[in-house]
Amino acid sequence: MLTNYGYIGLFLIAVVLFTLFMVIIPIALRFLKIVPHNPNPIKNSTFECGMETIGRTWVQFNFHYYFYALIFLALDVLVVFLYPWAVNLRALGFASFVAVIILVAIILVGYVYAWKKKVLEWK
Amino acid sequence: MNLALFIPEITLLVIAAIVILLDLFIEQKRWLAQVSISGLVIAGGVTIAMWGGSYPAIFNNMLAVDNFAIFFKMLFLGIAFLVILSSTDYVSKFSKFQGEYYALVLLATLGMMLMAATTNLIAIYIALELTSISLYALVGFLKDKKSTEASLKYLLLGAVASAVLLYGMALIFGFTGKTQLGEIAQVIQSLPPMTLLASPGLLLGIVLLVAGFGFKIAAVPFQMWVPDVYEGAPTPITAYLSVASKAAGFAVILRVFFSAFGLPVWLSLNWGLIFAALAAISMTVGNIIAIPQANIKRMLGYSSIAQAGYLMVGLAAMGMASAENILGQSGVLFFLASYAFTNMGAFIAIIAISNKLNSDLIEDYSGMGKRAPLLALALTLCLISLIGMPPAAGFMAKFYIFNAAIQNGLLWLVIIAVINSVVSAYYYLRVVKVMWLGEAASAEKVPSSGALRLALLLCCIGVLLLGVIPGYAIRLAQLAANIFAY
Repeated sequence: MLTNYGYIGLFLIAVVLFTLFMVIIPIALRFLKIVPHNPNPIKNSTFECGMETIGRTWVQFNFHYYFYALIFLALDVLVVFLYPWAVNLRALGFASFVAVIILVAIILVGYVYAWKKKVLEWK
Repeated sequence: MNLALFIPEITLLVIAAIVILLDLFIEQKRWLAQVSISGLVIAGGVTIAMWGGSYPAIFNNMLAVDNFAIFFKMLFLGIAFLVILSSTDYVSKFSKFQGEYYALVLLATLGMMLMAATTNLIAIYIALELTSISLYALVGFLKDKKSTEASLKYLLLGAVASAVLLYGMALIFGFTGKTQLGEIAQVIQSLPPMTLLASPGLLLGIVLLVAGFGFKIAAVPFQMWVPDVYEGAPTPITAYLSVASKAAGFAVILRVFFSAFGLPVWLSLNWGLIFAALAAISMTVGNIIAIPQANIKRMLGYSSIAQAGYLMVGLAAMGMASAENILGQSGVLFFLASYAFTNMGAFIAIIAISNKLNSDLIEDYSGMGKRAPLLALALTLCLISLIGMPPAAGFMAKFYIFNAAIQNGLLWLVIIAVINSVVSAYYYLRVVKVMWLGEAASAEKVPSSGALRLALLLCCIGVLLLGVIPGYAIRLAQLAANIFAY
């Protein structure tokens, strides 16, 4: 019985060793002067599919986008469910109609909430 | 499929939506608490009416409607009822977000009810996430530095625990090809023992499940989030976390480990031993670190880790037991019920006292016996119950669970548990000593609202009732645990 846990432990040890090994390789190669070290500005710049990068990484976004993203997500999920249902409306029958109405009602509560809390107003 | 069996859950969902909408359109916010409570009462009534019947599982066998699930549903509804009663004063600290508060409490309760009922790994995960996400938000409701930090820590660590749990479920699915607990059990039992022995995948899956659920029940070594989250969260939510969230974790553990991994015997002996070791570590670590705590919420946080240890003694007994012996399971259920009353009572008394003091430090409780005799008396009763002294419920609960452990050959674990109970008496009684023998800083009385007093009274009655005449509650726990007998 204990041997089984031993296998698991062996895997864990292997995982840790492998990770350490992968981290240490580049450092060791650098240290042994096998990897050359001649930096230049082009080499150090961010690789962006050939486009030249503009400005810094830490750009500020308007916080309002966050709310829009959340509402968009909810409605997006709704559409994902609505579309296959709408295509098969006749085959799925009345029970699925009720189910979809319930889903829409739940998301509608969220939408009314966002509306009333003035999330949709751009300030 | 019979939707009538799903009425309690539907009620909670509808009431949560109504609370959110009402909050937008009415000025009188105290209606929100009343609507939430009426919803809980309706759901509770329907649930109680279902007790004892034998119903088919619903939603393609994903949700079982058995006595076990109904027992836990009643427990969660009762706890949510007490939490909402005790938050009626507290919500003034975040008056802008009362609707969200009540709605999230209801949704977390809904998630826990589903957790107790699910018999499918995927449904378990979804119910667990519904509970967790509601609780992450609730923990951060105070919006001050500590509360935000607590919420973020809970979210990050909870996400890691979810990932671990999901990985465990994936391994078990990969090993058996099933997500339904009963079918997993069939596959495991039909395989020849040698195949099982040669493949450590299933064992790794079980270990990861223990880790994932261990986070929910706050067992050592998955307890790192407990002290900070308990300290930072709004006190009613701390109470809710320490009682309901833990009970939900135990409900899932009981069902998953018994229905999926209960047989063959060597497998259950295996996870029984894991739980026995975790129990011993949790009790010891929780009790020892609780001793130097100066903040009472932190102290009760560590105490809840220790209590999870006592509860896991029952799980270990379940793993070691033969099939027809359900003492371990029913012991855990009874312990959870008595722990619910006890810890809720302690936290409600703390809410009342800290509302006045604006402090959670134990030294500030000095002289509470004179300033608020009834509150201090109730807190004393609950602390005595947490130690496990008669006539409180904690005594019967510990007695019952240790009895189950001894019958299944876990004498060593019970010895550790009893030593721990003695150690724990020190820090619980320290609070009692400060309250009754310390000098009061001022002679001012501590006020408390009617709802709070009602909740506290209900808890004290529960603690005494389960401690003095436990027969009926034990019978309920046995009936609920009967689904585990073959």
